[in-house]
Amino acid sequence: MFNQYLGISPKSDLLLLQMFAAKLNKRSFLHINSTREGGGVAEILQRMIPILRELGIDARWEVIEGDSIFFDITKKIHNALQGNPEEITKKMWQYHYEVNRKNAEKLNLEADAVLIHDPQPAPLITFKKTGLWMWRCHIDVSNPQNEVCDYLMQYCEKYDATIFSVAKFAKAMAIDEFIVSPSIDPVSDKNRELTDEEITETLSKFQIPTDRPIVLQVSRFDRFKDPIGVIKAFRIVNKYNDCILILAGSPATDDPEGEIVLNEVKEYAANDPDIYILLLPTFSDKDINALQRIATIILQKSLKEGFGLTVSESMWKGKPVIGGAVGGIPLQIIHGVTGFLVHSVEGAAFRIRQLLNNPEMAKKMGDEAKEHVRKNFLITRQVRDYLSIWYALENKGKSILEL
Amino acid sequence: MAEIIEPFEFKQCISILKSTGKKAKNLRELRDVIEVVSDECIFHHTYQYFIKGHVLEYTNDFAHWAGESLEERALSEHLSNIDPYDFKEINDLRNQLLAVIDVYLKSFPEPREAMPGDEFCFNETMTLIFPVGIRAKNLAEFLTAIKYVETGSVYYHFYEARIRLGGGIDDFSRWIEDAFGKRELAERIRAIDPFMHNLEGIREHITEAVEEEVRKDMEVIDRCLTSI
Repeated sequence: MFNQYLGISPKSDLLLLQMFAAKLNKRSFLHINSTREGGGVAEILQRMIPILRELGIDARWEVIEGDSIFFDITKKIHNALQGNPEEITKKMWQYHYEVNRKNAEKLNLEADAVLIHDPQPAPLITFKKTGLWMWRCHIDVSNPQNEVCDYLMQYCEKYDATIFSVAKFAKAMAIDEFIVSPSIDPVSDKNRELTDEEITETLSKFQIPTDRPIVLQVSRFDRFKDPIGVIKAFRIVNKYNDCILILAGSPATDDPEGEIVLNEVKEYAANDPDIYILLLPTFSDKDINALQRIATIILQKSLKEGFGLTVSESMWKGKPVIGGAVGGIPLQIIHGVTGFLVHSVEGAAFRIRQLLNNPEMAKKMGDEAKEHVRKNFLITRQVRDYLSIWYALENKGKSILEL
Repeated sequence: MAEIIEPFEFKQCISILKSTGKKAKNLRELRDVIEVVSDECIFHHTYQYFIKGHVLEYTNDFAHWAGESLEERALSEHLSNIDPYDFKEINDLRNQLLAVIDVYLKSFPEPREAMPGDEFCFNETMTLIFPVGIRAKNLAEFLTAIKYVETGSVYYHFYEARIRLGGGIDDFSRWIEDAFGKRELAERIRAIDPFMHNLEGIREHITEAVEEEVRKDMEVIDRCLTSI
């Protein structure tokens, strides 16, 4: 598997991975999150664990279990951390802790390094036995509800280090705070090259016409992804340019609001024949890949975003991406170079029109975008960063390490 | 017996970003945090600016933020004019940054605050240095290598070396001078302005200089003609 990245990932990343493989051989690395499927975190872990194992690291991935009450609470915590007004009562925090306590009884938490992903399993730190524990925050906490954030930080500060996706998400804390961007896997079904037959298969499955330019947004049906705003932008564009819009997303088991938002979107689209709303089953990676490859322009018009991996996915396919200037999107889109950053429905509509009318500009941006992703947002770089942090924590105090 | 020449070992460095958790939303806050923040943080926002494939408009993160987020163009120009290699101690560089900001605060109306979400985030880095597995024994091998090593390697030997070696000297020119006594070529590499090019530009200039030298060494015909 590792060999598949030769000629794709930067050579230095592969070299460093081999160096770490020698240093961390047979040592254990445990990852814990709250869902096996749906959403960026599960997706990264599905790909990262086999790579770590192939490097000779004893990597494990555990998922905490919870009932619908637990996931309703964690969704509220998630929303509050992203700035939505939510009330998390003392009883709810207690429930959050209790579910984690029960999981701690069942899970084997012993490992040389433990990486806990997002707030759902954050209280597991209370049950730490051995090893270095790191808390990985994948969400946009730049403007959280302070009360909720402060409560959660009580857990976070017990860790050996925290990892955020973007520097502006980091808080003033007494522990090491590393910044690691998430990544995409260039050889996964979602990102590998596809044959013409594979693309045609997807197009006919969803009966998508190819006689007009396609504007696409791929993301779960979540208000923070602003699917309604995308439709509004599309309606402005449609007055000037004949094109179609595809909104495609998969459900996530830890997101109970998905269905409600999907229905809102369908209602707003009002059976417009130029708008295709696709609720894709989980593991529709090849279809998503095909949609991104066939699209003319790709949007990620998020209002809040942890990182927005779909941006890198689309850029990897050489597409110009128009993204909301939030969260990690500005790290991926260099405005005017690898895509456009927008702040409004009108801005999104203007940039769509600009790209539809300038195919050469769109092609140049797409090429720059792909190279930017190759250098910065491939999975090999992320594995490299996690292993570097583990290694650095074991050599605490040194800001320069020579291998 | 031929003299043994120490080969040039290409190394590279990567940096993992660390947040200090400190932020500034206006110029006064920026100034106050610069005053107290760690040396590693000042180092990152000045010397390490060049590893990012920098925008040639600016020469450090403070100037970049002043220009792009506060839209204080004059301040950004003043800050960009600070040469971090002029200072032996980080504290001297810190004091120079403070002096420039203080003069600006006295001479100009108070700048507006940055937009929410656009605050200056003070970071540091953890740096890993490693050999990339390429050794050059002569200038021809060096020429081949410099063309395809990653830009991180160019950064390590051209920019980072200036901090290690001092005096505006980089690893490439030092090796060329020490191993082959080619002072002229070494001086030509040292004369490449580190502020005026991004890493690819630096690579191009070094390649051009070395290529010319290698060609000159190979062209025996020229020497034959001169001796006629």
